[in-house]
Amino acid sequence: MVDLLLAVRGLNKQFRSGTQSVSVLSDLSLQLGRGESLALTGRSGSGKSTLLNILCGLEKPDAGRIQVLEEVFDSRKPAGSRQAEARWAALRRRQIGVVFQEANLMPALSLLDNVRLRARLAGQADDKCEDWMERLGIGELADRYPDQVSGGQRQRAALAMVFAMKPALILADEPTGSLDRHTAEAVTRQLFDLQARHGCGLILATHDAELATRCNHHLDLGHQPET
Amino acid sequence: MTLLAALFSHYRRHPLQLLALATMIVLATMLWTGVHHLTSQARASLDQSESAVAERQQVTRADGEPVSVRDFVALRRAGLCVMPWLEVASPGAGRIVGVDPLAAACFDRSAKDNEPWRGELDGAPFVDISEAAGLAIGQKGQKDSQGVLSLLLSGPDSGSALPSGYRIAPFTVGPDTGELGESFLLNLDALGMLVLLISALLLRSVYLLGLAQRRDSFALLHRFGVPGRQINRLLLLEIMVLALVCIVPGVWLGRWLATGLGSGFGRALEGLFDTPLYAGQDGGWLVPVATMLAVVLVACLADVLRPLARRLSVAGRGQSLLPALVLLAGIALSVWASALAWLFVAVAMVFVAAGILAPFLIARLADWRAGGEEDPLSRWRHRELSVLARRLALPLVALQFAMAMVLAVQALVTTFESTFDQWLVQRLEADYYIEVPEGADASLAVDWLSGQQELAAGLWHRVIRGQATLMNSVGESGPVVDVFALGPIGPLVTGWQLFESVGAPWQSLAEGQGLMVNEQLARRQGVTVGDTLSLKLGHKAIDFPVLAVYPDYGRPAGEILIPASALPTDFETGFQSLSISPGTLSMETVTSGLKQIWDVEQLTVRDNRAIESLASAIFDQTFLLTRAMTVLTLILAAIALLLMGWVFFSTRAWYFRLLVVWGLPRRQAATQLTRLSLSLTSAIALLALPLGVWLTWILVHRINPLAFGWSLPMAVYPRFWLELGVLSVLVGLSIAVLMRRQLNSPASAPESASALSGGER
Repeated sequence: MVDLLLAVRGLNKQFRSGTQSVSVLSDLSLQLGRGESLALTGRSGSGKSTLLNILCGLEKPDAGRIQVLEEVFDSRKPAGSRQAEARWAALRRRQIGVVFQEANLMPALSLLDNVRLRARLAGQADDKCEDWMERLGIGELADRYPDQVSGGQRQRAALAMVFAMKPALILADEPTGSLDRHTAEAVTRQLFDLQARHGCGLILATHDAELATRCNHHLDLGHQPET
Repeated sequence: MTLLAALFSHYRRHPLQLLALATMIVLATMLWTGVHHLTSQARASLDQSESAVAERQQVTRADGEPVSVRDFVALRRAGLCVMPWLEVASPGAGRIVGVDPLAAACFDRSAKDNEPWRGELDGAPFVDISEAAGLAIGQKGQKDSQGVLSLLLSGPDSGSALPSGYRIAPFTVGPDTGELGESFLLNLDALGMLVLLISALLLRSVYLLGLAQRRDSFALLHRFGVPGRQINRLLLLEIMVLALVCIVPGVWLGRWLATGLGSGFGRALEGLFDTPLYAGQDGGWLVPVATMLAVVLVACLADVLRPLARRLSVAGRGQSLLPALVLLAGIALSVWASALAWLFVAVAMVFVAAGILAPFLIARLADWRAGGEEDPLSRWRHRELSVLARRLALPLVALQFAMAMVLAVQALVTTFESTFDQWLVQRLEADYYIEVPEGADASLAVDWLSGQQELAAGLWHRVIRGQATLMNSVGESGPVVDVFALGPIGPLVTGWQLFESVGAPWQSLAEGQGLMVNEQLARRQGVTVGDTLSLKLGHKAIDFPVLAVYPDYGRPAGEILIPASALPTDFETGFQSLSISPGTLSMETVTSGLKQIWDVEQLTVRDNRAIESLASAIFDQTFLLTRAMTVLTLILAAIALLLMGWVFFSTRAWYFRLLVVWGLPRRQAATQLTRLSLSLTSAIALLALPLGVWLTWILVHRINPLAFGWSLPMAVYPRFWLELGVLSVLVGLSIAVLMRRQLNSPASAPESASALSGGER
């Protein structure tokens, strides 16, 4: 195994609605090394987004142990909630880049300002931001606002933001779900190219089986037990 | 599910919006109906008073005692056609007038139009005298409830056979106030209009927000084959039903509010213009319901009904030149206008321009600050502020107007109270006030008081009241003015504040070198110090130089102040009194001495401190309505901004959450949120400040002299500014607190549909 980036063991998550309880993640374990990619597939509601949210600390699991780089979060040895939140925030700020299906940008800022904001939050110098935009083919759109560009260009800007922060791990939740096939292919290609070149880990939630085959590992959450 | 149910489902999803809309309609209707109810009643009372007492005379007792039923019987037996007129105060509703229909029969029927008591006595204010008498007896012991009986004479020549012990006097409800009463009511109308405008802005803002959220549903229905016109018709039906459901209880609450404030307002009207507030002239339900329905429909559906207006408003966005020109023109008009109507036009122009410019200014300023920021996070916060200022423009402007109105009214009322208190203390310098009984020789009292060693010199004076006629330059009679003659002129009056005067004015007055005039007379006749007034005080006209102009608040009549020694012997004295500060001498000694020299058993002695507190109470009542209206409007505006801020922030919650996703600790994201909401509400409070100070100036220096006949000094109260600043901070903090709750709950996607295509910027 290459350098361990992420290790998850015995992860459980249930959602309660009134008196009913639905288990979306049950005793889930996985590992990811640097430069590796993992595809998460499964039908809608199978827990893909929930797992990604848990892996970046936006949601809490009911049980389980998560290790990201040197940080360990164990439900059996809970640290103070505020302290854990601060550690997760620090990881998201500097190490974990998150890309959603849409609305990854601040509408009140230009594309370049969005990239700069993300880089600055990660503690990176923002002088490389324009380079990243050039590399992703949106250099000439730097001063445009999100509502002035296409969906594909917005997703490229979102990728530029992620790479500008130089993350160790990228969590992408159906990043091309709202794009046409041609644009989706271009964005995906750039995502895998850059991920491979910079050696960061990638967890990609997708409905696209073909896309899933391009990842090193594949986890189908549709086969998770359900109660 | 029907189409209407599908449309209305938005409010099932967002019940708070429906509640906000309903609350605003109810409160706006209540406020405006309350004011409309009172002003209609007051306006009808003014008309009623004028027509009822036009050129009419009454019979009074020569000994000054009030007339009674016995006098009525005696006069009718003597063959005189007199009609009893019994005024009774009805708590809350105003005055009721009891008349005797049988006695009214001897009045000339041809003048029916001028005799509103004629015909059916079917309700307030004119009722059968037995009903009014019953009311007076029933309320005996209650404050202000005793009936006042007058005996009206049928014609000007009927007094020829007047029995001895009676005399004829003009029957007046109050002095001729010219257009002052009407101006006062116009002021209230204007305040009501401002409340209506603020309410319309708030309604519009909440409704448009809902409409924006429903636009996708409308588009979907349109794609399903529902014509756009049908959707518009259903929206019209929806808002009409909502309006009617809310307006009816609003009108009821407004009438309840007016009833609650009625007695105070009536006392204010009497205090200011000596005009009683008669009961029953309430303007009905139709006008408030129709007005509010029109306001709600125009405020909510103007864009739907008039697409052109919408296009114009969109095209005009961002253009500040025209509003800036309107602002300047409004300010110029406010300086030069000499009619009250034009002043109101100026106020409207300035408010409209300020309303358009304020959100534009905040947005521009925020964009400018964002442009100069190096830190991307600060740049984002300023850009968000710009978006908020534009999206929350309507509730922000409503809050700005409400704050400006509160600032101005508070400053006006506080200035008035402090000025009035100071003036009242000067006017009631003496401790006691003794009425000179009818027929008693006041000069005997003057001699007796002069001889009292213990009574310090100058701590008493005699007051003679009556009337004089102003003569114009060609010797023709002009208006009648009140005469306020004093003697001796001493420390009880020499401390009075004067607006303008010659050197040593009181000494000049004591030496009979001229007279002083009150501000009302000076303004109305254009009199200044150094002018000469020709007055007919008895049968002869006398010229007096004007020595000073003195303030005389709270009544409309013109008045002259002259030394008693300057009155001619044939001056017809209306009323006399003595003002005394007894010092070491007991008041009992004074009253017993005066009883002895006048040979009377009873004296009317009044404690001036009690009069002072009564007068202050009357003026408190005067401004109760305006204060209540402004404070309620401010609360309404603050709640509306709070709701709107909350709802709109919800549509931006995703972007705050995005900051958290990017690793900004929640606490810091919440701090950004707080800074943003505080910046927004503080900016609008700051912009309300100059508008409020300008409105104060307009009220004090321009509207007040035209509406009341007297002016007030211009004062500003930074404490009110601070209070409003604290209020704006509280509203900002409340929005932030409400939003923090949303920040802590998971949001998987942005709420607003526009965010999917990049969101608004």
